[in-house]
Amino acid sequence: MLYYLTKRLGLSAVVVCLVVLALFSLLYCIPGDPATIALGPRATEEAIARYAEKMHLDEPVWRQFLIYIGNALTGDLGLDVFSDRPVTAIIMERIGFTLALVGAGMGWAMLLGIPLGCLAAVKPNSWIDRITGVLSVGTIAVPSFLVSIWALLIFAVHLRWLPAIGAGEPGDTGDQLSHLILPAFAIGLSWVGYLARMVRASMLEVMGENYIRSARAFGLRPRRVIFGYALRVAILPTITLIGMGFGGMISSTVFAEIIFARPGIGKLIFDAVMARNFPIVQGAVLVATGLYIFVVLFSDILIAWFDPRVRESL
Amino acid sequence: MKCRGTTRRGFLGTTAALGALGLAPAWTTAAFAQTGGTLRLRIDGDNDVLDPGFMTGGTEIEAQKQCLPFLAQYARDGDTFTWEPTYFVTKLEQRDATHIDFELTEDLVWSNGYGPVMASDVKFSYERMKDSDWSGYFDALDHVEVTGDRAGTIVLSKPFAPFIMITLCHGPGAVLSEKAMAEAGGKFTTSFPAVCGPYTYEATPGQRAVFSVNPDWTGPEPAFDRVECNVITEVKAAELAFEAGELDCTEVGADTLARYTKDMPEGTDIAVAGELQYMWMGMNTEHPKLQDIRVRQAIQHAVDVDTILQGAYSGTTAKSHGIICPGLTGQRDSAGYSYDPAKARALLDEARVPGLELTLRTLNNQERMLAAQIIQANLAAVGITLNVLPLDSGPFWEMGQESKGDTWKDLELWLMRFGTTPDPYEATQWFTSDQIGVWNWERWTDVEYDRLYEEGINETDMQKRHDIYVRMQEIMENTGAYVWINHEPEAFVHSTAVGVNAAPSGELNYRRFIRA
Repeated sequence: MLYYLTKRLGLSAVVVCLVVLALFSLLYCIPGDPATIALGPRATEEAIARYAEKMHLDEPVWRQFLIYIGNALTGDLGLDVFSDRPVTAIIMERIGFTLALVGAGMGWAMLLGIPLGCLAAVKPNSWIDRITGVLSVGTIAVPSFLVSIWALLIFAVHLRWLPAIGAGEPGDTGDQLSHLILPAFAIGLSWVGYLARMVRASMLEVMGENYIRSARAFGLRPRRVIFGYALRVAILPTITLIGMGFGGMISSTVFAEIIFARPGIGKLIFDAVMARNFPIVQGAVLVATGLYIFVVLFSDILIAWFDPRVRESL
Repeated sequence: MKCRGTTRRGFLGTTAALGALGLAPAWTTAAFAQTGGTLRLRIDGDNDVLDPGFMTGGTEIEAQKQCLPFLAQYARDGDTFTWEPTYFVTKLEQRDATHIDFELTEDLVWSNGYGPVMASDVKFSYERMKDSDWSGYFDALDHVEVTGDRAGTIVLSKPFAPFIMITLCHGPGAVLSEKAMAEAGGKFTTSFPAVCGPYTYEATPGQRAVFSVNPDWTGPEPAFDRVECNVITEVKAAELAFEAGELDCTEVGADTLARYTKDMPEGTDIAVAGELQYMWMGMNTEHPKLQDIRVRQAIQHAVDVDTILQGAYSGTTAKSHGIICPGLTGQRDSAGYSYDPAKARALLDEARVPGLELTLRTLNNQERMLAAQIIQANLAAVGITLNVLPLDSGPFWEMGQESKGDTWKDLELWLMRFGTTPDPYEATQWFTSDQIGVWNWERWTDVEYDRLYEEGINETDMQKRHDIYVRMQEIMENTGAYVWINHEPEAFVHSTAVGVNAAPSGELNYRRFIRA
């Protein structure tokens, strides 16, 4: 297990380096002078020079890359070009909002999708299975930004049941939870479908296994057979999917954060790209990548913990 | 222990349900209650640099206007913009072309114990601006003479008629505490070292900026005790937030303005701050395909501007007749050409340019793309093939600048929009001879235009200034390099419970909002 962990962490470090390198290259491929875009077309020469100096734009790109990597290894992600605040502090202010949103989005999708998948698998070809199938495909097909806009229009603008913008009053948990409902609903909806389909398919396969037939033959209660034996095995590919999905969801929060005007990593990256605020872009993408790798690693370890066969093969 | 009839799962489920019910009233009240004395607005991003010398502008100026003293403020005089002294001064007078006397109001104090607001603070604030990113606004300033604790004279190095209007009324005209600035190290970013105004400022990055009543403020009380400015990047998201009742006022785009104008929801009104944007289609007079003035004049006659205003802007913008915007000295009543496809065809025949093919470059936003498509159809009708090239803001703003590459050589036609301050001087400065290859992308020169530009800056007689700027626009138009399009308004939709106050260029002044 220790060897496996070491190997995975080493691989993660390589991935992070590649992401940073790719990001660096991409940022410099964006057409237009970053200083002009960041400071506006009528910025003074002095302001442009100061910006270029802060961003190390007067250095060769390879040197900028080495400076950045060197600083990042010491935990220094640089300073925001405009406010001079540490990038790390800015990211830390926002990351909690994104994690809460992703957690809530995936959380409700799991709470609904996994039982629906089980139900559909236990009663295949029944009306429940068919309805679940239609709903699953339907929710998968609708993009999250569209759900965001519809949810906002229906529940916030028209019905006024839920708040439309922001993350809620700092320190007021109830208010913050209410502000989480619509964006979490929007980004989690398609995952209800994904999870239901995945669990159904896995469960159908597992339910045909000999050990399930044996369990039934021993007279175990159906609920125990389904949740105690079948789901425990069937859930393994779903855990991998959730791990991957968690990372994907960090990306899809961009739309929700923009539409619902929530603070978060996605919106931070979007705004920083538009303003050519490179230190923020690089820092935030680095953190998001690290987060993604951590979640995938965590899901792999979870699978190993659940499944002795995987554990023994490590 | 086990209660009869109660399972652990049942207990947990019931508790969760009751908990959720308990939260419901909390969130409904938090989100929708009319919080007495709170004005809820939108800002389009965090205020990164509040220092007037190094700010980006926009909402940073809005913050300065609530927390810092200004000597002058914008006022409307009928349909035109003018200025008036603020509460912070008991006297602000232009003694002659280069001297402006001021006297500060008594009892103005800085927060955080930095003492009274002094004339030396004005001197420090304005003289430091000469070495700032906004130094252009202080080019004409020579120095500030302190004649008393609260009195002084702003001395200009040369006559500069618009100084009060474009410098003292605008963000760069903010006054800072000299002592507080010294302790802050000479610059500041996200918080004011000291404030003197009706509000104090506190921001939660990425979420909101909050203005609360300043306990040290002795001046007129603002109508609202608290102003919450939510960070909402996208205009459309802000419009939805307004419709959801979570904002009292927000800026709107052309399509929404048209929708509201046509069918105004109950309890809602529209306020137009100003129309200080001027949009035109420019032509490169040096490009081989456009060197013949008859070709350029043909294009002027071929474009149906009225259709653009309806098709791309839903009839919400004023038709332009030049670069001087509505409400400003020097605005023209009409252009010297009109939509006349027959005349355009005749001019093209005369110029002998069959099969002319041109490229129009534009920013890739909705209104400009629609305008470009209409122009494409207009030019096709007179036999010109037009290719539309949409661009991102980066390459767009560089394409005519010689310092940014060679694209200016290929530049043929483009759709351009500039914003300006409420004085005609600023709009005219981009088209002088020394601006060729910088902002004069049309690349023409005119000795009379350059001379009038200098005269306009120095002239204080309003009628003479008007005549100067009208003539300058005629010179521009006679080059054939301009098709005037429109002046987009800075429009706000707001609850009828509040009265909006905004600068002509669109910055909101929360302290001057009123309860309707």
